[in-house]
Amino acid sequence: MAGREKTTNAGSGNRIVWMTLLFFLVIPHIISTPLATEIMIYGLFALGFNLLLGYTGILSFGHAAYFGLGCYGCGIAIRDFGLSVWGGLLVSIFLGVLLAAIIGAISIKKRGVYFAMISMAVAQMFYFLALSPLKKWTGGEDGLKFIPKLSLQFPFHVDLQSPFPLYYFVYFVVGLSILAIWRVLNSPFGRLLQAIRENEERTIASGFNVTMAKYVSLVFSGLFSALAGGLFFVYLGYGPLTTLFWLTSGTILLMTILGGMHTFIGPVVGVAVFLFAQNKFSWIMDRWQLVVGILFIALILIFPEGIVGTIKSKYLARKTVGQEIEEAE
Amino acid sequence: MEINASLLINQMLFGLALGAVYILMACGLTIIFGLLDIVNFAHGTFYMLGAFAAFVTVSLFGNFWIGLASAIILVGLIGWVTETFLIKPLYGKDPLYPLMLTFGFSLAVTDLMRGIFGTVGRIVPLPQFFIGSIVWEGVFIPKFRVFIIFLTLGVLIFLWYFFKKTNLGMIIRAATRDSLMVRTLGIDVPRIWTFGFALGVGLAGLAGAVNSTIQSALPDMGVEITVECFVVVVIGGLGSLGGAILGGLIIGQVISFVSLFASDWSNVAIFITMLLILLVRTRGLFGEAGRL
Amino acid sequence: MKKVSLIVASVFLVTLLFSGVASAKPIAALLFPLSGPFSAMGTDMRKGSELALEEINAKGGVLGQKAEVIMGDDEFQAAIAIRKYKEMVDGQGIKAIGGTLSGGISVAVNEWACKNKVLYMSFCHTSIPLGKEQCGYGFVSGMIPYQTGVATAKYAFQNLGKSWMIVTQDYRFGHDELSAWLTVSEKMGGKFLGNIYSPLGQVDYSAHIPKIVATNPEILVINVYGQSMDAIIKQLGEAGLTNKKMKFVIPKSHLFTIKASGAFYTENFYGGHTFYWTLQDKFPKAKKFVEDYMKKHGAPPSQDSDGGYVGTRALLEAMNVAKTTTDVDKLIKTLKGFKMDYNKGPEEFRACDHIRTTSVVIVRGIGAKASGMNYGEVVAEIPWQETLESCENNKNDVPYGKVKLPGK
Repeated sequence: MAGREKTTNAGSGNRIVWMTLLFFLVIPHIISTPLATEIMIYGLFALGFNLLLGYTGILSFGHAAYFGLGCYGCGIAIRDFGLSVWGGLLVSIFLGVLLAAIIGAISIKKRGVYFAMISMAVAQMFYFLALSPLKKWTGGEDGLKFIPKLSLQFPFHVDLQSPFPLYYFVYFVVGLSILAIWRVLNSPFGRLLQAIRENEERTIASGFNVTMAKYVSLVFSGLFSALAGGLFFVYLGYGPLTTLFWLTSGTILLMTILGGMHTFIGPVVGVAVFLFAQNKFSWIMDRWQLVVGILFIALILIFPEGIVGTIKSKYLARKTVGQEIEEAE
Repeated sequence: MEINASLLINQMLFGLALGAVYILMACGLTIIFGLLDIVNFAHGTFYMLGAFAAFVTVSLFGNFWIGLASAIILVGLIGWVTETFLIKPLYGKDPLYPLMLTFGFSLAVTDLMRGIFGTVGRIVPLPQFFIGSIVWEGVFIPKFRVFIIFLTLGVLIFLWYFFKKTNLGMIIRAATRDSLMVRTLGIDVPRIWTFGFALGVGLAGLAGAVNSTIQSALPDMGVEITVECFVVVVIGGLGSLGGAILGGLIIGQVISFVSLFASDWSNVAIFITMLLILLVRTRGLFGEAGRL
Repeated sequence: MKKVSLIVASVFLVTLLFSGVASAKPIAALLFPLSGPFSAMGTDMRKGSELALEEINAKGGVLGQKAEVIMGDDEFQAAIAIRKYKEMVDGQGIKAIGGTLSGGISVAVNEWACKNKVLYMSFCHTSIPLGKEQCGYGFVSGMIPYQTGVATAKYAFQNLGKSWMIVTQDYRFGHDELSAWLTVSEKMGGKFLGNIYSPLGQVDYSAHIPKIVATNPEILVINVYGQSMDAIIKQLGEAGLTNKKMKFVIPKSHLFTIKASGAFYTENFYGGHTFYWTLQDKFPKAKKFVEDYMKKHGAPPSQDSDGGYVGTRALLEAMNVAKTTTDVDKLIKTLKGFKMDYNKGPEEFRACDHIRTTSVVIVRGIGAKASGMNYGEVVAEIPWQETLESCENNKNDVPYGKVKLPGK
């Protein structure tokens, strides 16, 4: 493994982004539209999550807090404050950034395992807050209900009750976000994050403000995760309590690792494969959680680089051997 | 509701009994973390396995004490196997990997148990002499809760003796501080790690067996207690046994008294406590500076 | 990179294309929690639905064809339930859906069904017929939560005593039962001594027991559910309280709880159930239901099986009567006032609010005498007229929706 960088190549990688956008343009006509919509939403969530994990090397076990906050924030803004769908999504973004800023201020300097545990505890706290004391606003375990039929008015009318218009609206927002994340990760800032992940001490020694970089990374991560949560609310027309549950945090981690946390598009691939399989399997078997757990263990032990990562490394290895042969001749 | 001395004393005693279970769990977590640098996200799963070990043993042999003992031993064995085959391969890699692995383990094993035992609670019967309460001057506590407190005390004394006075215990303490050094002395450190893991989860199994009598053995019973243990350990300071004990005591009292005065906040209260303590003392009460 | 990704992508797409292989066209989609912590009850519900489907198909099916009904797992999550219902409705043209176990999920599904003009038959205890939730597309083969509260409260104040204390799980169902008890208590001269709120998921009640002992009510109402119910019963037993004088009333008990509590579920325990299998001694049709179910599954049907059975059977029969599987308005019209006599005597879906007119059964525990399938004895059956409010009241969610609950 020595000498091989786990970075994403900026040049060829660009193609990946466009291929992904093309893929999502076409896919709702092939698989079920609700599933495709969810794949995009969770895909965005996973990309936001991986900003922190795969690129900066920080594991958060409580990312459900951002997703859930974005979901409820959007919902309450629309239902109780009369905002439009766009307004609701802006509220999601704002809340995501705010929460990340607060959590970062408390714990960003902590060591990896501490951060993981604290993030998990904070997420659980939000879950219990929404469940009981704040029930008047959140609906408790019933979730956020009595939502009017959602539609877009600006720039033109879109009925978000119909599957396809809803899908392409989500596609629009997610697509823009993917491009934005791509720009962030391929900037000097993005490379700084990867340097931190590879060798934090050396990066500090090189004079970079590592704490600030980590903090900003967390804020970006919170932003996109919360935006995904807002989109989830729009897609369901309802705000479920499960968005805040720790299993959501665990699932997004699993999907990210499944796809490959050291690649750009890996998380999205992981989401697609996982949701698709879960949908299919749970129609067939009741023990699918056991299957998922074993899958996770196998991934960590055997393929920690995930689907895309393993494919990539196989390809890269072959390329290097091929190059060697060429050079030898 | 009138508040008088006996009510407060009752709540405190119950808080002590609650805290005792958390102390057992937190000590287990701390031993594992101190020795192997792993945060065991499957700690609640071993707690649940302990409950079922007790259930199966008591159903077969009808003896509560055998049930308790078997919980420690069986869960310790499962821990031994888990560490050897699933966690050892990850040594040397990023410490986040074992953490993620234990998480996957908890998902899989919980569902496996659902498949084997179903989702209807299993009864682990209390021995007859534990049923009923001790009543004295208006103070009232179930006999079994008193037993839990003394059991935990016993375990703590055993751990103190083990770590301070026995050879194996001293080796473990040394390995916690400097495993490289211990290795160069010719001691099989990986074996020590496996033992440490088994001991840590064995304590969780004991806690589960103890609680199985008063809650029902259910595959999902370990799910929430994992996070609660993390809170205890973060409050006490990761890596400190004294911290685990103090943290457990604090949490037990917090839950008990918040339940009395504002019961719908009792779940949230422990997280708020954790955040408050962290704001004041960022590495927990007894956390070691270097460990952060 | 290109070659590999091309291969992977094409394999993926091919699998996708073939994944939707069609069989006979399904006419309804039912979801239950088949995985996760409530899988036992969810599976019971499915077993009830399957039995109903078999009976219908044995008698000729729906509209002359063998009825195809999709039954799946909602994993006890509203988001997954809605996604799967969406797939069935958008993708397969189904217009009738059914399920689930959780009242909270059923309310969310109901809202979605109304927005999308789909018929929804709820099998559980749910508030769909009340107030704002009522929107015309939902039917209930279970019960409205307050009904079991009213039934058990009436029975308790008539037979067990007057002073009472309650432990309430802090969520909607718990609040509904609490409201019912407070209302009935006032009417029947009950003496309310206090309420303890318990958050969802609580499994250690040791902190509350001193208070209960100090208050010393004649009746303790156990208004906590799932794991919490199992736990509190055990802890009351452990403290030695279950075989003294105090009586314990559970608005909505369950076969599984009685099983899990063992000897602690003594003769001091009285629970409300929508169905209990010894009703077969009273109703010949119940006998057939219980026997068929026992033959297939080796255990008696629980109230969840009953909810699934009645809801599914009514839905499919209604399709035959209305001569359609997709005209939702016709189906709704048929189901309004639809008469049934399946396993508890004559019942119907009330025309105004679509709730099944069914009784509540009070089952008393038998403690250590429990063995085999014998867990309790039916001591009373409270008819629906004594528990169900009028159409007008349900529409305005009174009186139970307007009860001022004790503070926290």
